[in-house]
Order: sequence, then structure tokens, then C-alpha cells
Amino acid sequence: MRDLTDLWVTAQTWIFETLVGPVIFHFGLMAWYEPAFNAVEFVMLGTVQIAVIAIGMRFFERRWPLERPGEDDRLILVDQVYTLLNKLGVVPLVIFIVTYPLVTAIELYVRSWGFAPPRLERVLPWLGDNALASFLLYFVLYDFAAYWLHRAQHAFSWWWALHSLHHSQRRMTVWTDDRNHVVDDLLVTLALVVFAQLVGVQPGEYVVILMVGRLIESWSHANVDMGFGWLGDRLLVGPRFHRLHHALANAEEQHIQDHNFAPVFPIWDILFGTAIYDGRNRPTGVADPVVDADNGRGWIVQQVTVFWRFTRALVPKLRRATAL
Amino acid sequence: MNKLAFAVIALALGASGAAQADAVLVLNSEDASYSILSRSSRIELARHPVGREPHHVIVTPDGKEMLIGSTATNELLGLDIKTGERRRIVKDIIDPYHLGFSPNGKWFVTAAYRLDHVDIFHADGYRLAGRIFIDGLPSHMAFDTESQTVFVTLQQSGRLAAFDLQTQTLKWNVAVGNAPAGIIMLPDNKRLLVALTGEDGIVVVDPKDGSVKSTLQTGKGAHNFWPKGDGRHYFLSNRVEGTVSLVDTTDMKVVGNVRVPGGPDCMDITPDGKELWVTQRFLRRVAVIDIEQLKVVASIPVGKSPHGVFMMKSGAVPAPAGGPVRAASTAGETK
Repeated sequence: MRDLTDLWVTAQTWIFETLVGPVIFHFGLMAWYEPAFNAVEFVMLGTVQIAVIAIGMRFFERRWPLERPGEDDRLILVDQVYTLLNKLGVVPLVIFIVTYPLVTAIELYVRSWGFAPPRLERVLPWLGDNALASFLLYFVLYDFAAYWLHRAQHAFSWWWALHSLHHSQRRMTVWTDDRNHVVDDLLVTLALVVFAQLVGVQPGEYVVILMVGRLIESWSHANVDMGFGWLGDRLLVGPRFHRLHHALANAEEQHIQDHNFAPVFPIWDILFGTAIYDGRNRPTGVADPVVDADNGRGWIVQQVTVFWRFTRALVPKLRRATAL
Repeated sequence: MNKLAFAVIALALGASGAAQADAVLVLNSEDASYSILSRSSRIELARHPVGREPHHVIVTPDGKEMLIGSTATNELLGLDIKTGERRRIVKDIIDPYHLGFSPNGKWFVTAAYRLDHVDIFHADGYRLAGRIFIDGLPSHMAFDTESQTVFVTLQQSGRLAAFDLQTQTLKWNVAVGNAPAGIIMLPDNKRLLVALTGEDGIVVVDPKDGSVKSTLQTGKGAHNFWPKGDGRHYFLSNRVEGTVSLVDTTDMKVVGNVRVPGGPDCMDITPDGKELWVTQRFLRRVAVIDIEQLKVVASIPVGKSPHGVFMMKSGAVPAPAGGPVRAASTAGETK
């Protein structure tokens, strides 16, 4: 494990000291020296995730596809663009630039009053000597917050206007997880970063949680009819469980998408009564023709049209004007 | 080294009581932990949790405790300097990024890097005497030998500020160069050396008014100092260049350089004065430099973003007047 860590940080240090650090130094941005080093790691992790998706997960989709390849395959291309833009740091960089002043202002305001959230290790000292247990506990807490954020994305009409872009995909695959509007990404990131700071997730843990969590979420969107067995499906979200959350509503199941919200641990759906395990495979997408029209559009057009959808949902005057 | 050998060494050192006398403490700033290393075996013996974002460590004036500043939890963690055992937590010390005691032991000062203020405490009981808000990321500090003034670098605004300890007021605040970080008062009490992390060297500053008297090129990203122990030579880490320079402060010239990759930062010298230990922030390691040869002879894995490093020992004494804010190795300084 140490050899792997050494290899990783040696590569990260080489990239940073050769390509990034000198630029930071040249432009007099030394206050960003450390964050820029962490950004290099973010891009490296994104590259690894893309490789795992493109090579590992795609193998299962090609070998055991749930929905056979067809003429709708072109709809998948835009999801690949989303994945590249997210995993290689383009969208996260934009979000960072927008949210950094706000997150910092919140953090500094809270800290200037002397409030400092205690680490869980203060309450559970044994956690300090058990890195795996500590990581898992923070992961579970983080996922708990993500579960409720996901429910909020479905509960508020203005947030659903954004989040419906993620659900509009009729050809759900391992590339679909990153298909989100940048404002949706921004809101979720902002909330999760503030939550992570409040419960005391360390930067090192946060990176691993993101890496592992996002890989599991990519897999849960896979075009395969697979699960982890009766018990496994109750411990970890898999493709069969999550596909139901993306199911196309019909007369009998008008609110089918208000189930199986959990990003990683299904326990939240089981505890809060939103879990369905029926083993049925359903077609994915959104019945609303306005939302379904996202299919076939490119990245830029989707971002513009969905933002307009969001604005109309947010501002009642605009909604009425459109209705007229 | 295999796990069995590691266990045998750890057990042997622990059983003999040598573990602490031989130990080195390293703060893993992004892991919220500190590592205890064996100086002789050059391995990590243990890792313990500590608050959040620990960056620097100093010794108390009585020489009995190490104080670790946990910046994000607003507290100091006091460890027994001989055994490494936790002794106490001092709460309500806001954002203690850099910290130091005045040479007379009367004042305790913290630089709140994120929150833009300098706090001056009565060292007895850590009672806040005054808080001075100042823009520009207060970074590192040094004291005059008479314990009248504390000098604080402002990394973002490129300035150096002097504060009167007795009245907790600003004496002067002047521009010195891009991203000033490490600062040290030379034993003559007449020259401050300031490392410019945004440039490629250091400036010599007059402590009376902050005027820059001269400059010296050392390497890109000059960052932090550590005394060699003879009152004349000082080590300086150059973070961007990836080197540690040895500076002769009498002739004001660089007399040696050693390549230390991975963003070298804080340093300390072994009690025998033979080795300089340097944290390599990016590589998650601590480099060991043979001072005689000026050559890296080992690099020891630790946690993420190691920052402060401290040689634990029995009978440690506080830093000398005008010296670094963290305790120096006694033997190294009195040679």
C-alpha cells in the first residue's frame, strides 16, 4: 500500500513541480500553491475514474447489456462529455471559483465566533487508531447528507427543474452519473462541503470519499441487470436498485422516481421508507415531454434550456408569462 | 523493512524507554494527525489523531511540554516533551496557525493565518491581552531579544508588521516583497531575515523601522529558516526550487545547497547537530540531511502534507532570544 501511495504522490509531485507550480509562482499566486497541488490530485483521480469506467465498467455493459444497442445510442455521447468535463476538473474548477468565496465566508464567520466542530474522534477516541473505521463512519455520514439532498432535489419544483436533466436520459449507462446541470452541481457541492466541514471530514478523507463514492454511483447507473445478492443489495447501491429510481413514470407508478434515492448505502431508503426491491426492470426517462426533449441536445444547449427551465420554476412571474 | 522487523524495533524501543528520547514528532497537516518517528531507526513508530489542520509545534517556556496548534479546532494540544503523552488541551485559541513565546517567556503570540489577526496572550494561563486584526494572511513570527516586539509576516499583502507586546499595538507595517513567510531575528538583535516565498531569496530588514537593507538570492520560493547552531549559519528551505540553502549571515552569502524535492518546509536538527530533518509537504515524507556532507541520506514516509517537525528530547529548553519560534535542538545551538 505504501509503495502505491509513494508512486501516486511521486507522480503528483512531478506533475505539480514541473507544470503547475512554476506557473503559480510566475504569476505571484503563492497563496494558491497548496490548493493547486491538491487540484492536480483531483485531476489524476478523475483520470483513474475515467479509466475504470471506460475499461472496467464498460466491459460488463458490453458483455451483459440490459438494453441492447440501438439507434438511441447517440444519446449516450453527451453523457460522456459530462463525465470528461467533471472528472477532468473543468466543471469542478468553475464551481470552486464560484463557491470558494461563499464557503470561505461561512467558514471564517463561524470560526471567528470561536465555533469549531469537534471531530468524531473526540467523542469516539478508538476511531483515532482505526483509519478504516474512521473513514467508513465519515463516509456513512456524508452519504446520509447526500441522501437528503437528493430528496430535496426531487421535492422542490425549482430544484427538480435542474435535476430533471439527470433523469431525462432514456439510455442510462455508466456515463450518466455526471449528467447534471452546473447549477445543480454547484448547489450540491456547496451543501456537501459545508456539511463535511461541520462534521469534521479531513481533506484527505474527503478526496477518498469522493473517489469511492463517485465510482459506486457511476456503476449504479450501468446498463446491466446486476445486483450484489439479497444482503449485498441492502448494503450497497447497485445498478438494479438505482435503475428503479430512474424509471419512467406511468399511470400505475406515477411517483416511482421518489424511491431508491440513496447514493451509496441503501440503508437510508430502508430506514425512511423509500426503498423498493421488486426485481423488475423498467425503461428509464421522464414522461414530461418538455424534459424528455433534453434527449438529443448537446451539452451547451442542455445547459441553456435547463437553466431557463430552472428560472421559470424559480420566478413565478416568468412561469405565468410562459403559460400565457 | 518487513512488518516483523518493524514490530521488533518498535517493541524494543518502547520497552527500553528509548522511544521518546529517540523520537521525532511530525505534524501531518492534512491527515489531522501527528507521527512519532524513531530518529535512529528512521521509521514511523506510531500515528495519533490531533484536532484538525495541525501546522506548527513549539515548546513551553518551562521546557516541559510541546504545544501543537490545531488551527481548525481553535485549540492547543499539550504533549509531555519526554514521553509524548497528552497532558492537556488549551481551548479558545483561535486559528493558531503559527505560535511562539517571547524570549522572556512572558508573552504567547499566535498568527491566525485564515482569520487575519494576531493574538497576544499573557503566557501565564493563556489569557488574551489583545487581538489585532490585520489584513494579508499573518504567517510567521519572530521576537526581538528584549521581548518588546513581535514581528509578523503578512504573506498575501507582501508586508511585515511589528507589534508592541506590552501595549498590543501596531508599531509599523511596511512592504518587504512578495509573499513573505519565515522570519528570524539574528542574535545581534539588529537584523531580521525574511524569506520571500513569492520570490527567489531573502531580505535583510532593520527591526527599527522595517526598512529593507539588502537582499540575497537563495532559490525560488524561499520559505523557512532553521539555525545551524553556531549563531552564524542558518538553513533555509526553498519550496519551489526544491532545495535547502545554508546561509552565512555574517558574510550574507549562500555557502551550500542541497536538493530536497517535494516542497521542503519546516526543519529541525538532531541533538548531536549532525542531521537536519526537513518535511517534504508534497511527497508525504521527511528528508534526513547529513549536515557535514550536505546530502540527503534518507527520506521517511509519514502522513499527508507533513508540516512541523520537532526533535523530542528530555530537558529541552525554549528557543533562544530572537531565535525560531519553535524550540531548537539544545545541543545544536550551543555548539
